[in-house]
Amino acid sequence: MSSTNNRLECGRSLEELSEYLDTGEISDPGHVAACPECQAALDSIGRLATLEAELRDQEITEAGSGSDDWMQSILNNLRLELRPGRDIPLQPEHPGDVLVETEGAILALIRSVTDAVPGATTGRCRLLGDVSEPGAAITVDAQVAVFFGEPIAAVAEDVRTEIAAVLERQTELNIAAINVTVVDVLTQPEPPAQEGNQ
Amino acid sequence: MIGSPSAPDRLALLPDALLVGRAVDGDTAAFEALARRHGPVMRASARRLTGSSADADDVVQEALVQAWKQLDTLRDPEAVRGWLLRITGSRSIDHLRRRKLHTPLDGLEERLESPPAGRSNPESAAVRMSGTEALKAALDRLPEEQRRCWVLRQFNDQSYEEIAQTLNISAASVRGRLARARITLAREMEEWR
Repeated sequence: MSSTNNRLECGRSLEELSEYLDTGEISDPGHVAACPECQAALDSIGRLATLEAELRDQEITEAGSGSDDWMQSILNNLRLELRPGRDIPLQPEHPGDVLVETEGAILALIRSVTDAVPGATTGRCRLLGDVSEPGAAITVDAQVAVFFGEPIAAVAEDVRTEIAAVLERQTELNIAAINVTVVDVLTQPEPPAQEGNQ
Repeated sequence: MIGSPSAPDRLALLPDALLVGRAVDGDTAAFEALARRHGPVMRASARRLTGSSADADDVVQEALVQAWKQLDTLRDPEAVRGWLLRITGSRSIDHLRRRKLHTPLDGLEERLESPPAGRSNPESAAVRMSGTEALKAALDRLPEEQRRCWVLRQFNDQSYEEIAQTLNISAASVRGRLARARITLAREMEEWR
């Protein structure tokens, strides 16, 4: 690149061309397309970009896989705080006692039963309504991903049934509705080899 | 526990958005699956920014703790990778600022402790450097503030605005520093060729 003060003889600055490569925006694209100087500068920065991408990939590989010891040791140190959510009262056996279960525990229950439904897996799940008020009408919103090839409507119905059953068994919530939204269809139920990177 | 905990193998199959949803609900195993998936690029970015493998792992750990706490603020769960990298970038810069405070006599940034394998090998040292080796060497010669912009752009894929926020400078400064970094690197790489 021959230039003085980072400005090409045609008047374009190298700053403009560098930004153009990042954003695709420049004040005079017609000039850039036709100007040999601009094209030469873009070629040069473009060759650099190829090498930059190569270095990035190389260093990500050198960083190791997410299933290696270094990540395990980081994860062991994390001590993630629990997310209990709201307190959900239960009718105590002895009057005067206070019994509650946490929203977080109920969401974990829902995940565990829906994950056991063949062909499905749960994402975000919400209890809508005032769960702290005994008898209040509660709506369950569950996001579900279904594996490719599974009958979506039937799987969604199984998920709904499982959620209804576990909430009936394990809570005193007054469930008004259970909405199951299929948000994704997943391929490859059984991976040939586990890979850390997506 | 009722039922089995989320099997890690199964979680590794799930798309980011679904794992984020579960992690927001409190599923630590889903969060760990996200950490395993995006940890390597976070680590690579932190190594480049801090210039130290040990500091990089501290940064990744801090970034993950922050991510767990703030996960419910992530508006687009599909964009979790970029979000984790933005946190990694901020934590790395904080780390550098703290380190600077604690080592006032040493103005020089310590570079990566372990030189690339090729360089420590006397036989291949005589051989011509590879393209990426030459680029690494050129990067090490860049002024620190230009290199930070470069890493946040090339490794973390951040926009000029995001880089500006991370470094607490204007977007115009980011644009200028990035361009100067690229001009220098491009010239050095042409000479290498």
